[in-house]
Amino acid sequence: MALIENTKCECGHQNRVGTVLCESCGKPLDNSGESQALLEMRYDGVARRSQRVNPNFIDRIWNFFSSVKVAVYLILFTLLGAMLGTIFEQESNFINFDPSTFYKNKYGQIGEIYYKLGLSHTYESWWFVLLLVMIGASLVICSLDRVLPLYKALSKQRIRKHLQFLTRQKVVYQGPIHEGEETDWVERAVKPLRRKRYRVHAEKDALLAEKQRFSRWGPYIIHIGLIVFLLAVLFRGLPGLHLDQHYWFPEGEKTKISGTNLYLENEKFTVEYYSQDEMSEDFRKTGKEVPKMFETKAILYECTANCDDPSKQPQLREVKRHAIQVNDPLSYKGLSAYQFDFDLTPKLRSVQPVLVNKVTGEQYGKFKLEMNNPQQEFKLGPYTLELKNKFLDFSLNEQGQPISKSKDPNAPAFLFLVKGPDIPEEGSQFIYFPKQIDKERFQQDAINEKLGGLQNKLQIDVLGMEDVDFIASSSYLNIRIDRAMPFVWLGLGIVMLGLIMSFYWQHRRIWLRIDDGILTLGAHTTKNWFGMRREVSSFLAAMGIEADEKSLENGGK
Amino acid sequence: MDFLEISRYGFMIAFFLYCASFIFYVVAVTGKTWKNRDPEQHERKWGRISFVTSSLGLLSHLVYCAARWAYSGHIPVSNMYEFMTFLSMMVMIAFTVIFFIYRKILLGMFALPIAIIIMAYAAVFPREVQPLIPSLRSIWLYIHVTLAATSEAFFAVGFIAALIYLLRTIEFNSTDKSARRQKWWIEFTLFSIIIVVGFIVSVFAFRAAGYEAVYTQNKTTIDSQVQQDSTIDKQGVYHMPPIIAPYESKPVSVPAFLGMDRAWFEAPSWMSGASAARKLNTVIWALITGIVLYLILRLILRRPLGQVLAPAVRGIDPNDADEISYRAIAIGFPIFTLGALVFAMIWAQQAWGRFWGWDPKEVWALITWLYYSVYLHLRLSRGFQGRKASWLAVLGFLVVMFTLVGVNLIIAGLHSYAGTD
Repeated sequence: MALIENTKCECGHQNRVGTVLCESCGKPLDNSGESQALLEMRYDGVARRSQRVNPNFIDRIWNFFSSVKVAVYLILFTLLGAMLGTIFEQESNFINFDPSTFYKNKYGQIGEIYYKLGLSHTYESWWFVLLLVMIGASLVICSLDRVLPLYKALSKQRIRKHLQFLTRQKVVYQGPIHEGEETDWVERAVKPLRRKRYRVHAEKDALLAEKQRFSRWGPYIIHIGLIVFLLAVLFRGLPGLHLDQHYWFPEGEKTKISGTNLYLENEKFTVEYYSQDEMSEDFRKTGKEVPKMFETKAILYECTANCDDPSKQPQLREVKRHAIQVNDPLSYKGLSAYQFDFDLTPKLRSVQPVLVNKVTGEQYGKFKLEMNNPQQEFKLGPYTLELKNKFLDFSLNEQGQPISKSKDPNAPAFLFLVKGPDIPEEGSQFIYFPKQIDKERFQQDAINEKLGGLQNKLQIDVLGMEDVDFIASSSYLNIRIDRAMPFVWLGLGIVMLGLIMSFYWQHRRIWLRIDDGILTLGAHTTKNWFGMRREVSSFLAAMGIEADEKSLENGGK
Repeated sequence: MDFLEISRYGFMIAFFLYCASFIFYVVAVTGKTWKNRDPEQHERKWGRISFVTSSLGLLSHLVYCAARWAYSGHIPVSNMYEFMTFLSMMVMIAFTVIFFIYRKILLGMFALPIAIIIMAYAAVFPREVQPLIPSLRSIWLYIHVTLAATSEAFFAVGFIAALIYLLRTIEFNSTDKSARRQKWWIEFTLFSIIIVVGFIVSVFAFRAAGYEAVYTQNKTTIDSQVQQDSTIDKQGVYHMPPIIAPYESKPVSVPAFLGMDRAWFEAPSWMSGASAARKLNTVIWALITGIVLYLILRLILRRPLGQVLAPAVRGIDPNDADEISYRAIAIGFPIFTLGALVFAMIWAQQAWGRFWGWDPKEVWALITWLYYSVYLHLRLSRGFQGRKASWLAVLGFLVVMFTLVGVNLIIAGLHSYAGTD
């Protein structure tokens, strides 16, 4: 059973439990009437919500998160956790890799422990996210716990404060007033204070001057901004709000952006290097080449019809044209395309070979064989070629089965089922490598021998270079949609506003009262005591009282 | 004479003026107790001389910056040399701002050595003007880097004032436990600064001597195209005598230094990177040189460095030093938030498509921000002003310097353009 504290002040005001300074007259309620220690002026000495007697369960949670000490610990743990994540690379830095072996191979035992502890994805781990959520809770509760009582206290301040309230401030002056000046001293003090842009409230023999109170709300505005920011980041990952994909855009092709009805064409990709005269003399000597610009001339199309029907050609309408560069993405209705990477090695787009009867020398065709969307069947004279399979990056796996290592046409191969004269009814299989180098490397004839022996009867051949079409280069773009970004920026904007309010302005107050010809002055500021003392000293000088800046400093500890 | 040459002169002149004004500040602060002079008049006279000299140095530093900008066509903050030079300039500007508010000569005596050390450290890095890679070609380079450097310079001034506070308040004659511990840590702080000086001295000494040792490192790599093992010889060049040789390496040419003609140790296997062993070697030389410098100083002075400095700071009120430290950090914090985080996020969003990617440099900027927000929260509570706050400010500067330098040298990442080599 807690002791019932007597919280009634001598001025008659009934304060709540936890109050440090009487809400009405400002008398310190720390019982020790004789103490000369400096006053605790935080939140103007009012009781916070978390200082209730007999807290229940919810109060206890509230009290936990409302503590600045807890907040500081949360920040410290987050700080230490963030440090751990910078020891080795994070998994999120890589697109395709196997983390279970990477850390062990690169860093040995330590790397494996790092991976096993889950530190290879520190910032996505449950404990790190939990810390951030707890910081969020602390931001809300800390602010609410303090801002409402503080607002109440600041909006109903009494002008005449208890004498002790004045003498135990950090800036204090006490001294007699010249005789005969008592009556209008307070009245005369109003003008010089107003000149220093104070709002002055005067009574007969007491005065309160105050300025830049708004800076008191700065910290709470910072916290609101941080909450907006954290919420935006939290909701960013929700489905529909977020898209993050990387695509190759081969030059001259329209590529569909999945999840949207948009197509993007890479019209032309260019890399520009710095010329010799753009470099300094010293740098020229190093012989290094430095790229100046990567640019993808992009056209964005919107699909208007036949969008989901693979058998029909989709109808596209141009909606945006932009030269995408690093630092200059394409943006269209919340979708952005960023220059990410490029590949200047030419790639096969299509070949137009002919089918040759090796016995008679007759040629059938040309037929156009596209790498990406090849036709399924070709009718060439008496022969029919049915495409059974394609391997754009041909290779053999450990079992000797043909596989494609990637989607890029590095070593394309096409497996046909051929039907026609001199060929068994059910057809015979035939593999075709468009690139001469692959024909030799993978031994096309030997494979065909095993498949059905057609290599002696038929041959697929490209007659000249004009029948080969290359993609000159490809641009790798990062396509993003981030619907939460405006809220991220809004949150950060609010944070900055709060920071500027609370750090570049200070809430300053001067109280004074005159008792029997003795002037007592106390002053308080949230920051910059040096400036406060200087201001008080110059005010006193204007009133004809010489007081050195240093002498105003209250020695009490 | 072209702009590049002007900028070189600007750099040199600024450096020497800073050195001179440091000496003047020392005279201004310590000379008050000399015989046959009026202390106040002495301080006024020498204070003016030193402030004018350091301001002229700053002017020359600005000339360096403007001339290099004019020559290269972009603001000179794009590599480690340019950034560190810029940072030391911002330290001088932050010092000047704080000096105009508080008029404490003593600050100069501590701010100038910090600016000089940062400037000398900059000169360690390659000095040529490099063209900007595409990702740096943005207006945000100007805004983000300059604001970040400005805020860090204010944190530096906060560190300097905190150091003054500690030197002023630690009781060097007392032998109780807390005083002993503080004496030890203040000495350690000063020692750490001397290690940095040791690094700079050793780099320049061996560079002046033209020292070079070469190692080859056999590396077996599997070539995926041909599916064959091929061995590539990697050469590592040391510009300091090797104490630590690269992992599994053979010396090609190792000139003898003081009779030392081969490395004493080999780097452990996990330091298999070509430059990791060289960096470790450099760190060891920095430590050796720093320790030697420290011991020489101790031999000459015959007292701990903290105790030597303590009388010089007697003229300042510790409360003022504490407030200057707090004020500098309070000025720097919003600038840091804006420059090093908000504008960095805007730029990252524009260049890389994401405003935050947990890149080491980003994380360390966040750590710095969290650290100073802890500082600001703790300052609200009673009992944290003064001594504890000052220690936090001193440690905070270490966090700042790690974010600026350590991350690039040790961790790298997307901001690695600013590293060595």
